[in-house]
Amino acid sequence: MAEKKRIVVGGWFDLPRLGTEVWSTLVRKQGVVYDKSTGFKFDAATDVRGAVRTLRSAGVEVELTLRCWICGKEACPGCPYLSSCDRASVSTFCLCADHAPEKSVFEEYARAFDANLKV
Amino acid sequence: MWSEKYRPSKPDQLIGNEDARLALSAWLAEWKPGRKAALLVGPPGTGKTTFVNLLARANGMNLVDLNASDVRTKDKLQRRMGEAMSTVSLFGERSLIFLDEVDGLAGRADIGAVEFIKESVKESQNPIVMAANDPDSDEIKKLSSSCVTLRFRPPPPREVEMYLREVARGEGLAVGDEELRACVREAAGDVRQAINLLQSTGNSSADEARGRYKDRDRTLSEALNGFFGAADKGEALVSLRDLSMSAFEKVREVQRSVVKSGLPPEAMAKALEVVSRADLLIGRMMKAGEWRMLRYLDRLFAEELFPVVKGMGVRYTGQDDLPFPVLVRVWNDSKKVREVSVRYAARAHTSGMSARSQDLPYVFALCSRKKFREDLERAIGLDADPDLLESFDKFLAKEAVR
Repeated sequence: MAEKKRIVVGGWFDLPRLGTEVWSTLVRKQGVVYDKSTGFKFDAATDVRGAVRTLRSAGVEVELTLRCWICGKEACPGCPYLSSCDRASVSTFCLCADHAPEKSVFEEYARAFDANLKV
Repeated sequence: MWSEKYRPSKPDQLIGNEDARLALSAWLAEWKPGRKAALLVGPPGTGKTTFVNLLARANGMNLVDLNASDVRTKDKLQRRMGEAMSTVSLFGERSLIFLDEVDGLAGRADIGAVEFIKESVKESQNPIVMAANDPDSDEIKKLSSSCVTLRFRPPPPREVEMYLREVARGEGLAVGDEELRACVREAAGDVRQAINLLQSTGNSSADEARGRYKDRDRTLSEALNGFFGAADKGEALVSLRDLSMSAFEKVREVQRSVVKSGLPPEAMAKALEVVSRADLLIGRMMKAGEWRMLRYLDRLFAEELFPVVKGMGVRYTGQDDLPFPVLVRVWNDSKKVREVSVRYAARAHTSGMSARSQDLPYVFALCSRKKFREDLERAIGLDADPDLLESFDKFLAKEAVR
């Protein structure tokens, strides 16, 4: 069985050459961001579920990982919801073990949002 | 309810969709006339409408909130949006035009509406934000070239847990990790549902609470009995919301349950008063095409009917509980009554429906007295049809016995 391609949602990743049609579906229809020098990225405009489906049909099995909203580290390792969380359909950021909900991080979470909010 | 008490009041108090929310705030900050509109796409309950409201407030903008399900035609849109599009205050302050449920524009009545929105985006002096649930609808595909599309998704479970812990802390509620996580899993990304579950956990044991909310698509009897047997208004509301059936059917089944409940006369009158208001609400909603009013139906029942029927033993007992022979009689009699009403209507210059509902009860009452019967039968024209006259006489005889 082919090894799964690990993709951090919101981070750049590369893909093997999959043909014009797949590229066009991913970038034009499913809103995957493409930059010639850095590769591909799933962001707020991406139809993540659709893109994962397209990649799978092109022979690329994908494992998605979310990033921590507060520190940017990978959030999924050690998460108690790992088995039940559908990462292709939830929003693109989460919380890592260092900023786990048990640590009353809501204020920190809101501050991280406020710092980038343009009002 | 806690879900109302902890409703976000500032843009940073929402959870999930951080990049989409920031992208929208950046789009709004940089917006100039002639630029694209923003299109927020995502399932209900992901915070699209709430965030737009909070963002407008945070920016000191006046929000012009239109629901595309209410304002469906080009003419109506032009009337409602026209002024908002071209108006800027003397001090240069702009309004934010929010067009919700744009994927609701469909069918013949909406011809021209999507094109009008696309034109409006180019000409508007104020930013336009649209929201839709279905990313694959034709309307969204047509609009997407004029819009910056941002996807809203349910927040991940860990963020929901973080918010629940904040609520629990605010309420001074001590909940175990596993109980809290069970609420998060059960709510499946719906923050309001998760808070309702947490509130129930606070009021009773966690297992009971989970059990009450467990089946999201409950059967009719489970949902209605859940409503009548709920512990509080919040739980009653959730039970009704779980019931996926048309508003008409919902009102009919609630009415059926109330009528057959054997409530004391005063409570029965109050309960039926609420049901009749629900019926009026649907009638007005249908007439005016104000589909948005649907959201008030469940709330009306939970806020006004539930306190009347609470603890009174009202149950939903099923739809067809009349014995079959009685049903057959109802069908047969209604056929005769219809035939009579058609003849009566022709003579009285009224509709068959008015004849049945308004006049015939009095005609039947008068016919019970022999001295009026023959004259009335002749006046209606029944004497010209001996078979009908015979069956009508039999019907009257049965009614007299009853």
